[in-house]
Amino acid sequence: MTIVRVALDIPLSRCFDYLAPEASATDVGRLVRVPFGRGEKTGVIVAVPGHSEQSPDKLKPVVAIERTLPALPPDWLALGEFCARYYQHPLGAVLNFALPPLLRRGRLPRQKKEKPRSGTPPAVRPALLAEQQAAVDAISGATGFMPFLLHGVTGSGKTEVYLHAIEAALARGRQALMLVPEIALTPQLEGRVAGRFPGTRIVAAHSGVADAARARGFLDALEGCADIVLGTRLSIFVPLPRLGLIVVDEEHDASFKQQDGLRYSARDVAVFRAKQHDIPVVLGSATPSLESYCHARNGRYTLLSLTRRAVAEAMPAVRCIDTRREKLQDGMSAALLAALELRLQRGEQSLVFLNRRGYAPVLACSACGWISNCRRCTAHRVVHLADRRMRCHHCGDEAAIPRACPDCGNQDIHPFGRGTQRIEAALQDRFPAARVLRIDRDSASSPRKWQALLEQIHAGDADILVGTQMLAKGHDFPRLTLVGAVGADAALFAADFRAPERLFAQLMQVGGRSGRAELPGEVLIQTEHPGHPLYAALAGHDYHHFAIAQLAEREQAGFPPYAFQALLRAEAREVAWSLEFLSAARALAQPLAGEEVMLYDPVPMRMVRLMSLERAQLLVESRSRPALQTFLAAWCNALATLKASRRLRWHLDVDPLEL
Amino acid sequence: MLERGALRYTPAGLPVIDFRFEHRSEQAEAGVMRRVECEMACVALGANAHLLADSKPGDGMRISGFLAARSLKSRSPVLHVTTIEFLEGNPNGFQT
Repeated sequence: MTIVRVALDIPLSRCFDYLAPEASATDVGRLVRVPFGRGEKTGVIVAVPGHSEQSPDKLKPVVAIERTLPALPPDWLALGEFCARYYQHPLGAVLNFALPPLLRRGRLPRQKKEKPRSGTPPAVRPALLAEQQAAVDAISGATGFMPFLLHGVTGSGKTEVYLHAIEAALARGRQALMLVPEIALTPQLEGRVAGRFPGTRIVAAHSGVADAARARGFLDALEGCADIVLGTRLSIFVPLPRLGLIVVDEEHDASFKQQDGLRYSARDVAVFRAKQHDIPVVLGSATPSLESYCHARNGRYTLLSLTRRAVAEAMPAVRCIDTRREKLQDGMSAALLAALELRLQRGEQSLVFLNRRGYAPVLACSACGWISNCRRCTAHRVVHLADRRMRCHHCGDEAAIPRACPDCGNQDIHPFGRGTQRIEAALQDRFPAARVLRIDRDSASSPRKWQALLEQIHAGDADILVGTQMLAKGHDFPRLTLVGAVGADAALFAADFRAPERLFAQLMQVGGRSGRAELPGEVLIQTEHPGHPLYAALAGHDYHHFAIAQLAEREQAGFPPYAFQALLRAEAREVAWSLEFLSAARALAQPLAGEEVMLYDPVPMRMVRLMSLERAQLLVESRSRPALQTFLAAWCNALATLKASRRLRWHLDVDPLEL
Repeated sequence: MLERGALRYTPAGLPVIDFRFEHRSEQAEAGVMRRVECEMACVALGANAHLLADSKPGDGMRISGFLAARSLKSRSPVLHVTTIEFLEGNPNGFQT
């Protein structure tokens, strides 16, 4: 009697054996329907072992093996096994996550042969600059596994390099996989890729694609008839038998790391997958993550540099505005307002960047000290004046703005601080003739609205944009010549050791929106620390200087990338329970840790309450990744035996991005 | 009224006006009448704020209300106006 080993999506790290009379080794990688508990579940056959550790009379037979679909290839299963091992997540859960939702539920998309796209001639291909050509040559010339870090200043034409490299891969009869941070933010990219490669089958893989289309794209890729897969982090799990190139655009972006369930970093998995397929992988950014940059400096990655802008003459001029002795008007300095006025006169666009949406971050009563705290989180509810509501940006809890202070009855309560809505109102007040357009997650709440806003900007129907980081990446607005950053200082002294890296990247990216075409650009940063080295590096467009200084600090402090971390987080109704669980977990860890693994103490998280749960964390660190991995595997086994209260939830985050 | 700020609104949409008021009167003190003058920070909400938004510095009026601290930090009192009586034909604003 043949036995199949099935990975099921349940929170246990083991697989389950079933009887399958007519199964053979060719069924490994097939979906299978099996009885489980009182119902049925769909899983993936990961092995056809000769015998089971359980006695055969205890094994149940499978319901059905799905044979109309090709089996998932061994390298796909190996990728899942790697992720399960590395991120300490059950294999069944990993494979389940890697499958599109429709297949997960054991259903198949209706057969619909994709019409071959009409063979319109390729869009005009801009001529490559020498640096771009050199980068393309290096990538296309690579044989076997080779990671590249493509560091290109904003507007240097990184996308063009990707497209040429993809073209070369397609010409060799291979498939290409391109990962982007958030596809909703760059709707034009899909069109650009499609326009460049007519007659090829391009699959979009992201959460915005309908279930049936996603499943069909997945199967097309699996069968090898898709040529290019373009998607967000989840597309790293699309099976590609002829895979020849992986591109990760904006590789520094935090959205490549999933923050729940399988907490993987698609960028890191991309490098593993390239190694597995023995192919080149390109990580591109104007501000590479320090992890990748460190690899480039020590020679593990090949650094490719684009130092010149493709269209514009020069990088925008970056200048700090010292706001220490100035009385700001609605948070804006006279110099910034004058610069905005100048752009209005010239008929050019400006962007005021403030990474805080809403009208004001807090509503407060100056008579008694009441503030608009969230009822469920350690956070304030943010004033949204446009719809007269206050809203927690962490849990979504919201209420109408109270007419009077709930504590003392004072009606004259005030919004404190500044968000995009307030800047928008102030600018509209000051420049009544200007068309002020606010762009944040409130004004661009759906892809359609976002698209409409983008079209409005491109059509020149906006003079001053007020926006959050939504506008920071990937956009080309030819008439935009001024970027003013307001309230950037807040991130300068944040507790997270990655805060400077993020702030630098954010300002560099948003500043890069200015002066991308023929018109010269200017970036003004309002700050009370005009001499800060971070701003000096920004003004000099000197990523290398900044990155080397940051790496030196990290090395001295023993932070990543010079150390490897994992974080055990626990959440319960009371923080004491969370801390108690973590203390028990720490006690289990002590005999396993050895000399190379350092255990910190359990501490409450900086934002203790979220959605009425109180959270604590325990940091584990090692200078050696293998030592940490060995420890984590043993620790996870031990943790499974730990009797935690039903009302306590915990998870392990390997290579956490936020501490 | 000495000077007044522009009409503003609370986040809930209620009109508010801040102004300074110069008070002049005669009062009995230990059996003797004396002249009294002072200046006072005032605030009015709601319908009263609209009434005051139509008046200008120099207008005379008789106001009453209650005192409250300006804020947690500044404990000096502000008169919260609850009733207003405009004194017509009395340009000096003297109250009798």
